[in-house]
Amino acid sequence: MIKKIEINNINLNKLKFFCFLFLFNLNSFAQMNGINQEIKNVIKKNKKVDYLEKTYEFYKLNKWDSTLLYSGKLLNVTKRKDLLDLAHYFRGKSFLGKKIFNESLKEYNLISQEFYFYSYVQCSIGEIFLNQKEYKKALKHFTSVAKNDKTLSSKLEKSVLLHNIGLCYFHLKEFEKAENYLLKGTALQKKENDTLLLISSYMDMANLYYEQYKDNQAIPYFQKAYALSKKIKNFEIKQNAALNMAVVEENRKDLTKAMLYRKEYDTWKDSVNNQNKIWAVAETEKKYAISQKQKEIQLLESENKVKVSQRNGFVASSILFLLLFGTAFYFYNQKSKTNKIIEAQKEDLDALNATKDKLFSIVSHDLRSSVNMLKVTNTKLLKDIANRDYDALDKIVHKNAAITNSTFNLLENLLHWATLQTQQLYFHIESVDLYSVIQQIEYNYKPLFENKNLVFTNTIPKATLALADLNSLKIILRNLLDNAIKFSNENGTISVYIDDKNDAFYYLIIEDTGIGMDEETRTNLLKEGNLLNKKKNQKGIGTGLGLQLCKSMIQKNNGIFTIESIENSGTKMIIGLPKYKSNG
Amino acid sequence: MDKINILIIEDTPEEATALQEVLEENNYNVVGIANTYQEALSLFYKLPIDIVIIDVFLDGNPDGITFAETISTIPDTLKPFVFLTSSIDRQIFERAKLTKPYSFLLKPFNGLETLYAIEMALEKFYDQSNVFINDHQDTIISECYLFIKKKNALNKVKISDIIYIDVEDRYCNIITKQEKFVIQISLGKIKELLCSKTFVQTHRKYIVNTNTIEKIILEDNLLILEGNHQVTFSGKYKETIKSFTILK
Repeated sequence: MIKKIEINNINLNKLKFFCFLFLFNLNSFAQMNGINQEIKNVIKKNKKVDYLEKTYEFYKLNKWDSTLLYSGKLLNVTKRKDLLDLAHYFRGKSFLGKKIFNESLKEYNLISQEFYFYSYVQCSIGEIFLNQKEYKKALKHFTSVAKNDKTLSSKLEKSVLLHNIGLCYFHLKEFEKAENYLLKGTALQKKENDTLLLISSYMDMANLYYEQYKDNQAIPYFQKAYALSKKIKNFEIKQNAALNMAVVEENRKDLTKAMLYRKEYDTWKDSVNNQNKIWAVAETEKKYAISQKQKEIQLLESENKVKVSQRNGFVASSILFLLLFGTAFYFYNQKSKTNKIIEAQKEDLDALNATKDKLFSIVSHDLRSSVNMLKVTNTKLLKDIANRDYDALDKIVHKNAAITNSTFNLLENLLHWATLQTQQLYFHIESVDLYSVIQQIEYNYKPLFENKNLVFTNTIPKATLALADLNSLKIILRNLLDNAIKFSNENGTISVYIDDKNDAFYYLIIEDTGIGMDEETRTNLLKEGNLLNKKKNQKGIGTGLGLQLCKSMIQKNNGIFTIESIENSGTKMIIGLPKYKSNG
Repeated sequence: MDKINILIIEDTPEEATALQEVLEENNYNVVGIANTYQEALSLFYKLPIDIVIIDVFLDGNPDGITFAETISTIPDTLKPFVFLTSSIDRQIFERAKLTKPYSFLLKPFNGLETLYAIEMALEKFYDQSNVFINDHQDTIISECYLFIKKKNALNKVKISDIIYIDVEDRYCNIITKQEKFVIQISLGKIKELLCSKTFVQTHRKYIVNTNTIEKIILEDNLLILEGNHQVTFSGKYKETIKSFTILK
């Protein structure tokens, strides 16, 4: 920040360059060291206050806009006076940084006098006025700070203050006072060895003298400043020092030297320009880099899009795969289930087939033995006829009748079993008179009863009407009677009667006084599908087919079948048949 | 009382003879034995027949069923019949069932089964079930005959031969032109089944065949019937008699 003030002096016709190397920046910089420590302390104490820390961070980085934003928020949030003052201070600084002096001034004016850094505030206000060329006002603020100079912590700050006062006087043309203050400031800066500030002070001093045409006093200061400027890197200061020297030499008519200084000035200026150019280049580079970045971002975005679409594709395909897998699993499961069922059915069929084969062998064996017996007795019969032994003849014929009867029964059962199994049996449930059915069957069994000398009684009341299929009922009863006869001892009794328990069934009981059976045999007989059980007391023909047929047919007649038996004393075969209820 | 006439349709002579023996032992009258379908038809319409016993298979064909089907087409002349079969083949049974089989007899059968089957056929044909198995009843009433079971024998009585019926509890004394006997039947049933035009109840105890009335003596409340039977009529039934007289 260089201001060139050209003063046209009529007498001397000299070009004078006042180089206000503004102490603002430096000033602010100097101030910060002292004040920042204090601000840090304040912030540490108020860590919980929103925005405070952020504001300070931006403030430290000289990011004025952000500082303004956050300090504004801070103002809205807090009501504490010290924090409000601090916020206003930040804002004032920020406006100052942006060179909006009026706004800055407003902010500073809002700060209360109790503010810890009030002297700094006044310094700043003074600087603003100095900038706005309101030197008297500036002076007022500076002097009020100078009076309470205890608050200013460092000597540098003091020197700056003194320097500023000097500048004010200088501009007010009160040169003596100006000289006094500037000298004081310079002396302080010398002590502190701050080269930058010192060069500025020297130049200001030189200008002061030069303005008063005290060239002899001015020139050494210029020279000192120039000499010091060689040691530093600040191009602007170097430039100003060189320019000042050029002007001085020009005025001294030493044109060659002036030319040299001019040239040096130019080189510094160029370097400043170069620096500017470098900045510009850097800027364009930065822009380029940004655009490059942008491109990269775009690229990444498009890549992202591709990735997203890829991911979606992956998700979709995985769902599809899962579905496929699920259905495949489902079908596999179904298949294995049906396989299991088929397996079970196969086993059942195998078992049934085995039973059937066994049945075949037993039946054929039985038939073979009975037919064989007939053959044998027939030859005997022929012999007896030849011998005219009629008593023996009678016996043999009776025996043969028994054999044919049992064989016929076996075949009958076999036939019914087959028709029942193939669902070919004609089956028609109607009202059946149990008494007459028993009578009809008894008619055929009379010789058999007589053979074993058995007493048969039928005590079923007449017109006991049950619901059944007549033919199958006859088969059932025949089988049960066969059994009763088979397991009866000679001179035994077989009685058929009804047990009416006054429920929905007539319980037809065929009771014998035979050998009976044990509990195991009984339960085995009643077991479902227990064909071909090995039976105790096995003598004649018996496959278990008869009883099995009975069970199946009773079931088909909606009946109930149970057996009660006491070993060696008799058996009760009980058939429960639904009662027939006549409508009339 | 007359014997019941039976037609046997059977192609095996031994079986026909055996059956005939059983039937005749049990007081049935076998009027004929047919060997073929044609013969059966001609005999059926020629002879006075009460029941037909039909073998399902004639010469290996189910002509028995065909015969049943044929006679079923004329309901007026239809008689109860019994099927004889050695087959328990369901298909044959199903076909036979369509002809309304009044009874089945499965070979081999014994005499009792034969009688039972005949009785069943009668019961079913005249729609009066469970008559013969019962101790309280023994009579089936058809249009022309009473079928009466006495002990194990079944007989028939021509309804037009009845002069009057004397009701006593569950028993009815039937007085015909030739004889007099007791049957078991309820009054309600006999009234329901006998033709109401011919038979009229004249008294709590009496049902009279109006065709046999010869004289009505109103002052004595007396009816003189054929064969010089005398039957009183009570006041309660006087009106019936009066209207009857006027009609006559």
